[in-house]
Amino acid sequence: MSWRLTLKIHRWQPGDRAPYYDHFTVEVPEEAYVLDAIEKVWAEQDRSLAFRHACHHASCGSCGLRVNGREKLPCITPVTDYPNGSTIQIDPLRHFPLVRDLVVDMGPFSQAMEAVRFSIIRHASEGVPDARSSEPPILPEEDHEATRFENCLECGLCVSACPIAGSALNYLGPAALAAAERMLVEPRGVDPLAVWEAIDHDDGLWRCHGAFECSAACPSEVDPAAAIMRLRRYGPKVGQVARQQRR
Amino acid sequence: MPNADKGRVPAERSRRVSRWFDPRGIAPGQLAFVLHRITGLGLVFYLYLHLAVLSLLARGPEAWDRFIDLAKTTPILILDVVLIFGLLFHALNGLRLTLVSLNMGVRRQTALFWGAALVTVVLTAVAGWMIFRM
Amino acid sequence: MGGGGPHVVVVGAGSTGAAIAHDLALRGFAVTVVERGEVGSGTTGRNHGLLHSGARYAVTDPVAARECIEENLILRKIMPEGLELNGGYFIALTPEDMDFRQTFLEGCEAAGIPTRELTKEQLLRMEPRLSPKILGGVMVPDGVFEPYRFCLSFLASAQARGARVLTYHEVEGVLVEGGRTRGVQVRDRIRGRELTITADAVVNAAGPWAAKVAATAGCRVPLILAPGVMIAVGVRYSHRVVNRLAPPGDGDIIVPQRFTSMIGTTSWTVQDADLIPIPPDHVERMMDAGEAFFPGFRRQPKRGVFAVARPLVGPEEDQAEGEGFERAVTRDFACKHHEAEGAAGLFSVTGGKTTTSRLMAEAVVDQVGRWLGFERPCQTRTEVLLPPRRFFTERVVS
Repeated sequence: MSWRLTLKIHRWQPGDRAPYYDHFTVEVPEEAYVLDAIEKVWAEQDRSLAFRHACHHASCGSCGLRVNGREKLPCITPVTDYPNGSTIQIDPLRHFPLVRDLVVDMGPFSQAMEAVRFSIIRHASEGVPDARSSEPPILPEEDHEATRFENCLECGLCVSACPIAGSALNYLGPAALAAAERMLVEPRGVDPLAVWEAIDHDDGLWRCHGAFECSAACPSEVDPAAAIMRLRRYGPKVGQVARQQRR
Repeated sequence: MPNADKGRVPAERSRRVSRWFDPRGIAPGQLAFVLHRITGLGLVFYLYLHLAVLSLLARGPEAWDRFIDLAKTTPILILDVVLIFGLLFHALNGLRLTLVSLNMGVRRQTALFWGAALVTVVLTAVAGWMIFRM
Repeated sequence: MGGGGPHVVVVGAGSTGAAIAHDLALRGFAVTVVERGEVGSGTTGRNHGLLHSGARYAVTDPVAARECIEENLILRKIMPEGLELNGGYFIALTPEDMDFRQTFLEGCEAAGIPTRELTKEQLLRMEPRLSPKILGGVMVPDGVFEPYRFCLSFLASAQARGARVLTYHEVEGVLVEGGRTRGVQVRDRIRGRELTITADAVVNAAGPWAAKVAATAGCRVPLILAPGVMIAVGVRYSHRVVNRLAPPGDGDIIVPQRFTSMIGTTSWTVQDADLIPIPPDHVERMMDAGEAFFPGFRRQPKRGVFAVARPLVGPEEDQAEGEGFERAVTRDFACKHHEAEGAAGLFSVTGGKTTTSRLMAEAVVDQVGRWLGFERPCQTRTEVLLPPRRFFTERVVS
């Protein structure tokens, strides 16, 4: 069975005074995802439509946008989440510089992730080969636990959903704060004091007002709000210890 | 080319603070966030109103009595109930925020919100009953 | 722009284009990358993310196997920010699979791929969710990368050496004058305007779209577009990559990543790579194949179903197509200089694997440098790449 949706898509290009919406009706198989519908619009109806996508399975985090106002990764959002024959509104992420149509600039977001020195490969705890050491074993031992990518896809959905990111321009944002917590738990050779100092200020850890939208939006089990609250509880102590160690 | 030429609909520009009150599909956490801000603003407004009312005392007993008569009218009594609602919600949700910021009950923040909302509604109802019974 | 060397335009920001841009920039070329969409939005992005040990090709394609293990070991050193290095298994599900084991081990040994034989009991202890019906297996140094970040790492490093990366810029034509390539005509899809970029050479790394790009200069690129279906589910069934201990076939690999597992793949051929409808029977086949390794796989909620065309090196003249034909085609790559077709300075790259993209880039840039008379030694074997995020933080947009 096929699924018919009308996509009301946000359009804007540099030089336009104001954004506007275009409507496109597409029919896709009912197993398809919203990203497939957008790609079909581009392939068959409007080649000028610009949107981000790469992996199509919620690993790269590039396709983030809003469907009917809610932050989604369209690559894992089934079209059947919306009634057959309905119109869905597709907007770019909020609180990011807009490049064109649905494309946003990940620069400021990536800067925040860099500021907390986020490393996407999880370190290994004891007994586990460290993917970043110079000579990891070519064949891991039997009892070794898997090294893993961090859950955070750096997709930016949480920043778009955060009401504070909407009003405080310099706020680090939920992704970077959650990343900082990971780096304090597993420093992976990074100086914990540097991580703590990157978040211990008015536009960092203490700017969050606990709306919990980030955790509601996260497609990848990160739960940034909980990470922020843990940081508030334990972070100052970690910072203090790190400061003493440096002396 | 776009089909179904329904014309080009202007998109709203993202306004920053208005985003706080954007009701589209928000989660309970943000509902709490929005209510906290609305009730907070209401309480600030009430504080100034309260000071203005108290300043009537300086104008003598007649002015004060006129205010008391006004305060007993139904519309003002309804506003009293609204005030009690705002005060209770802001206080209870403030406790919830304090708790979660101390990393307590973070996993249950949604339940804490509904709890605060429930207690607010019950106590407001009791207060309303008492006000209108008098 | 850095280096002071000749200016080379690279068409496509998939793994091939990204690795070529990095190699060019490192050797002192001035580089412009043009990509019609997002980085990795073509074949690379929708890739399995398997860092090959080469074991998959150990029996069928010894050259590819050797290249894979060599590149695998190089990537471990130059891409510290992008690899899950847990190893992988080749697992026997049937007695025929067990019979294949000896051939497989010999192939690995010949290619220089380290192996360790594992009993059924060892495997089930290490991966308790594997089907109890497995018979045994072999461990190999497979790994997992993230295709998108793989490209971003190479591009970030190229950018740091002055390369310009123009995403959302689509090549409309390769400009040829007097038998020589002069540059490219590009549509800036962000501002909706036309742009001419002059260059001393053009490297066409547009993957499944390489034939279209070359055709604008009247040149031919033999290509077979062979998509495969992949399905991700929201459960990580194993710590390590799980392959079927058998000659390459459908649904013979499950790549774990974060809290997901991804099964692949199938193969068929298409004419147009822009939009590939997913055959429902392929989806069913993949879910069944997953079930054979991990009981319960079939019932898991899917987390993405996708297919994208592999740009395989095709025959020079039209050849008959048939079932299974495209799997027999070499996984190797080809770099074609279109000099004889009247477009000197236009190089088209087809085929290859993301795991060996650095090696492909080395060969392509050697060839381009030779032709331009700007020969510098390749340095990409040891140059540690920047973290992927740096692509966005240090972006120089035109």
